[in-house]
Amino acid sequence: MNKLISLIRTDLNITFGLSSIIHGFKAKKKIWQLLIIPLALLSLIPSYVLLIRGLWSFYDAFSQIGQQSYFLLMGFLASQLMVFFFGLMYVMSKYYFSNDLNHLVPLPIKPSQILTSKFVTIMVSEYLTSMPIFLPFAIIFGLKTNAGLLYWLYAVLGAIFLPVIPLVISSLAIMILMKYTNIKGKRDQLRIIAAGGFMIFAIWFQLKIQQISQKAILEGENFMFNLARDANLLVRSLGVAFPPSMWGALSLANYDSFLGLTNILLYSVVSIISFVLMIIASEKLFFDGLIGNIEVSASKHRNINKNLDKTMVATRPYLAIARKEVKMLFKTPIYLMNSVGGVIIVPIILAMSLVTGEASMEPISQFLYGNTDLVVIIGVGMIGILGMLNSVGVTTFSREGSNFWIMRTLPIKAEDQILGRLLASLFIQVIGALVLIVSIFFVIKLNILSIILILLLGLLASIPMTLLGMIIDIIRPMLTWTNPQQAMKQNFNVLIGMGLGTIYVGTLFFLIKFMFDKVDMFIIYLILMGILIISSILFFKVLMSLIEKRFRELE
Amino acid sequence: MLTLKNISKSYNKGSIKAVDNLDLVINSGEIFGFLGPNGAGKTTTIKMIVGLLKPDEGSIVLDGVDVWRDSLKAKSIISYVPDNPEIYDRLKGIEYLNFIADMYGVSKEERKTKIYYYSKLFNIEDVLGDIISSYSHGMKQKLVLTSALLNNPSLFILDEPMVGLDPKSSFNLKEIMRKLCDEGKTVFFSTHVLEVAEKLCDRIAIINKGKIIAHGTMEELREHAKERTSLENIFLELTEDE
Ligand SMILES: Nc1ncnc2c1ncn2[C@@H]1O[C@H](COP(=O)(O)OP(=O)(O)OP(=O)(O)O)[C@@H](O)[C@H]1O
Ligand SMILES: [Mg+2]
Repeated sequence: MNKLISLIRTDLNITFGLSSIIHGFKAKKKIWQLLIIPLALLSLIPSYVLLIRGLWSFYDAFSQIGQQSYFLLMGFLASQLMVFFFGLMYVMSKYYFSNDLNHLVPLPIKPSQILTSKFVTIMVSEYLTSMPIFLPFAIIFGLKTNAGLLYWLYAVLGAIFLPVIPLVISSLAIMILMKYTNIKGKRDQLRIIAAGGFMIFAIWFQLKIQQISQKAILEGENFMFNLARDANLLVRSLGVAFPPSMWGALSLANYDSFLGLTNILLYSVVSIISFVLMIIASEKLFFDGLIGNIEVSASKHRNINKNLDKTMVATRPYLAIARKEVKMLFKTPIYLMNSVGGVIIVPIILAMSLVTGEASMEPISQFLYGNTDLVVIIGVGMIGILGMLNSVGVTTFSREGSNFWIMRTLPIKAEDQILGRLLASLFIQVIGALVLIVSIFFVIKLNILSIILILLLGLLASIPMTLLGMIIDIIRPMLTWTNPQQAMKQNFNVLIGMGLGTIYVGTLFFLIKFMFDKVDMFIIYLILMGILIISSILFFKVLMSLIEKRFRELE
Repeated sequence: MLTLKNISKSYNKGSIKAVDNLDLVINSGEIFGFLGPNGAGKTTTIKMIVGLLKPDEGSIVLDGVDVWRDSLKAKSIISYVPDNPEIYDRLKGIEYLNFIADMYGVSKEERKTKIYYYSKLFNIEDVLGDIISSYSHGMKQKLVLTSALLNNPSLFILDEPMVGLDPKSSFNLKEIMRKLCDEGKTVFFSTHVLEVAEKLCDRIAIINKGKIIAHGTMEELREHAKERTSLENIFLELTEDE
């Protein structure tokens, strides 16, 4: 038990950098960096307030048809699904790709102990990501219904156990995946394909279930009658998509009855049992996927010098940097999932959620059809947002990590650094833009001119976004990571970037909205282009001096 | 010629003084050895020369170029080999070498000759097509050495270069150092292996607690010590705590 506690404490410390934060405090150099964190959170508040206000009226909509419990189900489902999807990535990198494994495996500790400590750390990360979603739902429901003490008690239990089952499922899924793809030579490719396939399947599966159950209740003969009779009807029929969320919603909604008690028990007990089962299974699964993981394929026939000749050509510095960046992005599974995965999945999810709404789609696509300019503007805005979401710019220096000395001791001009890294981000953006255009095509058939406009303006909008990200990253690069995951997913710069990026895109959006009916569309495009170019130049200048300054100062 | 003038560096806002008002002149065509106990300030000094740590005070000038004012120019004539070869291990060896050559602006023909020459010398030519994460520690180190030799450096600066090298490679490295210095280049390295320093270096400096406590040729060092014997005895005597 002592071993376990020590493991957990160390792992939490490594992951959240507690020691280094304290060290930074003592060195008195990083205090201003700590101030940035609350500032970044502040910048996210406006959108968050908007979201909560939306939820507030969302609740009313369900309470009008007497199905408030469905509101809770949404809260549970949204946060638990998020835990699950983030869990897949966290688990993959923490269980299998973190550097401390090299030290842990030789120690006399059981696989289950290593796993438990890592599970706990991920739980903490998951609380940080899921509570901002779950709590508004639970609190709004409690306030609106004037719920009693027992409700709040159940809500706390609901929150505590919330990440357990989704995380157990992602742990098991990844452990099984890793065990059976642990095949010499093709490991990385196999895993990326399997993970991608799995994600797409999971999304498809969710949508399918929702569709089927939606149809089932809407087409039921006495739908209105049943709706009035059973306040938990919607929860029961749609909750089958993920039963733990259903148990959670039922327990909170019926806290004052026996139904609530049975459901909260079910919810908590199944969470605990599933965790225990997963830990037991890990004894059999974990090391099988892990051992041999670090082994990489080296050439057997060492007679490749003829090919080497061809690769030895001189390249311009910025192109060489761009090529190196793209290679590193594609060869590190975690980076690939976050950058390329992000720009591919987001547009697909958006398109799928629009397309599956079938009946409700008709008016929307009719409306959009008459407003191609609106579609172009939205498309450009989305590509711009993807420019931040792909995290390529905002983690570009952080990703260098312990290799950063190479960049700092080589005679590289700041312009080359910027240009090279920018090109790498644009490369990813081209992929995202193409997927987005294809996705839009499913909703509305665009003409060639609009497509070209979206592509050009979208890529142009990606430039200031990437540069802005790089500014944030060079101010406070996260270089001391032990696991590439930390450089991208657990990097606070990404969040800061999202905040500032949203403000940038939001401002432009409101500006355009203001001009929309008053000014000719052609002029609007010109103005937009002008702003994008001017801000790019501005950011470029700032970045130049920042890079020169920071490359000297960093320690 | 490399001149370190009154350089100081402290960590944690002055609580640890790692390098204290250090003065040193290293001539061109010289192999200079930098000795000292663990934590004496060797790595800190080297990092200040190569642009990784900004000195709190003082200046560093290489062949008339102020290393911190005209850093781009300085970096193009310095090659640095760190004590720990942490490099992009997702790249192939050859990709890494090409990347470094691109940054130094080395022409196609020149890089071809050099890559073949040094990789053959260090016996890593057969693995250049492999991904770096499949290399052993020593192989990584030899790759970094190769990359550092692609650009005819005026100053070749190495932090504990012999650690982890097999006897043949460390012999070859010593030969390379000799050759560079015959060409009028400056070689500066830190080491804990006293025999290497004694045999190879034209001049030696011993640093302790951030200060140079002795420097000069072997002969001159001997005069410092009471017992004029081996470098080992001199080192132990000089770095002994009062
Ligand atoms: N990043 C750092 N933060 C705080 N103190 C540091 C840091 N790096 C080095 N020091 C301190 O500076 C002093 C000199 O360290 P340095 O690494 O230069 O020693 P060294 O001579 O290279 O030792 P070794 O022979 O062990 O490599 C030591 O007291 C060390 O504790
Ligand atoms: Mg050292």
